[in-house]
Amino acid sequence: MTANTPAEAAPGKPSGAGSLNPSSGRSPQSGAPAVDGAKLVRERRLNNAKKNWAMFRSDIPAMVGAVLLIFFILIAVLAPLIAPESRLDVTKQLDVPRYAPPSLAHPLGTDDLGREMWVRILWGSRVSILVGVAATVMSMVIGTIMGLAAGHFTGLFGAVVMRIIDFFLVLPSLLLAIVLSSVLERGVFTIVVAIGLTSWASTARIVRSQTLSVESRLYIERARILGAGHSHILFKHLLPSVMPLVLANTTLTVGGAIIAESTLSFLGLGDTSKESWGTILKNSMDVSAATSGYWWYVLTPGIAILLVVLSFTMVGRALEAIINPALRSR
Amino acid sequence: MTDLRFDDVSITYRSSSATRGDVIAVSGVSLDLPSGATLGIAGESGSGKSTLIMSALRLLPKSARLDGQVLLGGKDLKELSFGQIRAVRWAQASIVFQGALHSLNPVREVGGQIIEALEHHAKDTWTSPEKRKARMLELLTEVDLDRSKAAAYPHELSGGQKQRIMIAMALACEPDIIIADEPTTALDVIVQKQILSGLASLVAERGISLLMISHDLAVLSSVCENLAIMRHGRLVEYGPSDRVCLEPAEEYTKQLAGAFPQIGDPESRMNPRTLKPAEVTRAQPLTMSDEVVLEAKNLNVSFDTRQGRERAVRGVDLALRRAEILAVVGQSGSGKTTLARSLLGLQEVDPGSQLSFQGQALPRKAKALRTFRRQVQMILQDPSGSLNPKRSVYEAVVEGLRVQKIKDREYERVIGALEAAELTPAADYLESIPQELSGGQRQRVVIAGALALDPQVLIADEPVASLDASVRGEILSLFLALKKNLGMSALIITHDLGLAWNIADTVAVMRKGEIVEYGEVDSVLADPQHEYTKELLAAVPRLGSQSLVRNE
Repeated sequence: MTANTPAEAAPGKPSGAGSLNPSSGRSPQSGAPAVDGAKLVRERRLNNAKKNWAMFRSDIPAMVGAVLLIFFILIAVLAPLIAPESRLDVTKQLDVPRYAPPSLAHPLGTDDLGREMWVRILWGSRVSILVGVAATVMSMVIGTIMGLAAGHFTGLFGAVVMRIIDFFLVLPSLLLAIVLSSVLERGVFTIVVAIGLTSWASTARIVRSQTLSVESRLYIERARILGAGHSHILFKHLLPSVMPLVLANTTLTVGGAIIAESTLSFLGLGDTSKESWGTILKNSMDVSAATSGYWWYVLTPGIAILLVVLSFTMVGRALEAIINPALRSR
Repeated sequence: MTDLRFDDVSITYRSSSATRGDVIAVSGVSLDLPSGATLGIAGESGSGKSTLIMSALRLLPKSARLDGQVLLGGKDLKELSFGQIRAVRWAQASIVFQGALHSLNPVREVGGQIIEALEHHAKDTWTSPEKRKARMLELLTEVDLDRSKAAAYPHELSGGQKQRIMIAMALACEPDIIIADEPTTALDVIVQKQILSGLASLVAERGISLLMISHDLAVLSSVCENLAIMRHGRLVEYGPSDRVCLEPAEEYTKQLAGAFPQIGDPESRMNPRTLKPAEVTRAQPLTMSDEVVLEAKNLNVSFDTRQGRERAVRGVDLALRRAEILAVVGQSGSGKTTLARSLLGLQEVDPGSQLSFQGQALPRKAKALRTFRRQVQMILQDPSGSLNPKRSVYEAVVEGLRVQKIKDREYERVIGALEAAELTPAADYLESIPQELSGGQRQRVVIAGALALDPQVLIADEPVASLDASVRGEILSLFLALKKNLGMSALIITHDLGLAWNIADTVAVMRKGEIVEYGEVDSVLADPQHEYTKELLAAVPRLGSQSLVRNE
């Protein structure tokens, strides 16, 4: 691994360890004379960020993915402005034809209740992307903490943590998610928890193995000789070195989380009062859209899911290649 | 028989980064290795010696361009087809690679790996699997290894044994030329002597030519008839090894020859040879006092291994006084590093062991240990590994201060420590990251990181083993200066007796976890009492005279 990784952009301070704000730099305790040094550190990090950005820009699939992502995020954020929520109200769509195939008047067709598909996709993207990202963040936080703990602490504590990870790893995650979402109160938050709690174990495994390899480096031993305790080693050395891995993993996991959300909504476990791509798919099945020839009802949410997942994956691959130069030529 | 000739060879590496451009590794080198001759090439890292010998088997990477001619048995290697060069490799010339310890496949038995060389290059001579197996066993005998070792995996062998396997592999197809790239660098003196004398006698018996490269002139001169000195890709000096070593014509050769002291030579006692000695600023330099700082009594350390409990350190008594430099010497596996780690409280010791610092028993609680480590610091073996590659020099040096929660005058302390470690002007280095520094500079940063805490005692584990000859002198003179200026005590762990002669006041010789001889350097090294000390001293290669070859 080279020095020009995004971890370079992550501040070394434990206070900022969770965030990824490159400008937070060094803590104020360095005192006045070190300000100059902090500036140089910032410059070096800025340069690294520039270099990484140039590398990212030269990767065409990654740029396509990034543009697609920005598009979906924009329509999700601006949904209320583009199409007011009233257009989802069934009572106001009485004069719209049902099951209208895609045409100029109805760009993506309409559903069994006369709602425009494109409006539903627009509003559905809000829940789907929100759940995808939130569940991933949750799974990454749990996975990183558990992975670091399992890798750093030896003895009984490490072994217990590892067994917990193993437990979640072998648990059929869809089943657990179904159980969780039927036990807990219905809602977007429940779906986030259900997906987040079931998908962190593989992240923890990856983080643990990276932690183990960094742990055996001499500079960890040197930190111990200098008198460092667990918190110093964990937050100053181990966390910054696993962060790039976690970041790359994040973008790859988001796709999985979006699919998981769709699955749960499709199974009718989501918040039925809110639009989501999985809900649209479930509705389409309720009216046997696929067998009745209403292909647009099934394909539009399916393609939307595909595009978002694909773009997250393409961006994630590029980030992975930037972090790990050995992958570049593959 | 084949001879090898380098005729005005220049090798350039094309570099992809625009800033460095093309790197000239070797320029205009002409050397001759007639059949049956032995030639040593000496130089520091980056002198192009490895690149030069790789060209002898056309093993250079694609990014390298070779000008001039490399002639093997009169044929230009550049013109050979892949099939022809394949026939040359191993059958005519073979290589013992640098870092042989990593050149063996860890998941295959070593015997099978020797047979692999036979299968690829000499199927005509040893036609059946049985014959090849017999040949392999014969080779093991030749390099003085037990036949049962054929079924061993690399991790089951010691460093010296692995090196022998590599030599057996090089000998497998009865080559005319053996090229050895730093064959003994990672080994201690006794094993080094065994390997070198084994190699020398094999070469002499069979009339094989030997091309050996090393950074250590003494090692080369003990085996080779002729010596070539390289620097920055150019040939500096060439001639018979006695003349090059004992009456060097060039300044650079003198420097290389002087870097490894002759034990017993009063000129190098307390005076490591360097062009850049560290400054002694005190009018009256501090010398060894009677005040004991760090003491170990009846120290025992054991490990649980699969074979049962192994005692790594046995009943060691040591005392380190203020402003004393104590060298602990011994072969690898003698328990030196374990001893150092237990002195720092990093290693659990057996009950009954007594460790004390300034008269007080070593603390065991985490908080007290942290305060203790302000006083006693350790420098690890490999400076490159000891620095986090992502953190700048400032961050590396300040780490100890932050850990110890020393908040006042942070910037001044860092600058002061860097200057004490002779990394000047300190301000220029603050924002460098380790990969921008040379090995010697990295070691200074590590030392500065320890000095920032104003420790009373510095423990150093092989502080110069991974450094070049010229840097070695600088770092050693730094240790001397720290002692004289600050009254610091140091415990230096090494397998290099010359180092002890260079800077230490006292020396402890360790073998199998026990101290067999302990006393003033002048008396122990000049008049060793214990057999083992004598053996160690005898194994140190001496400059010139091809001592190992003629001793045979």
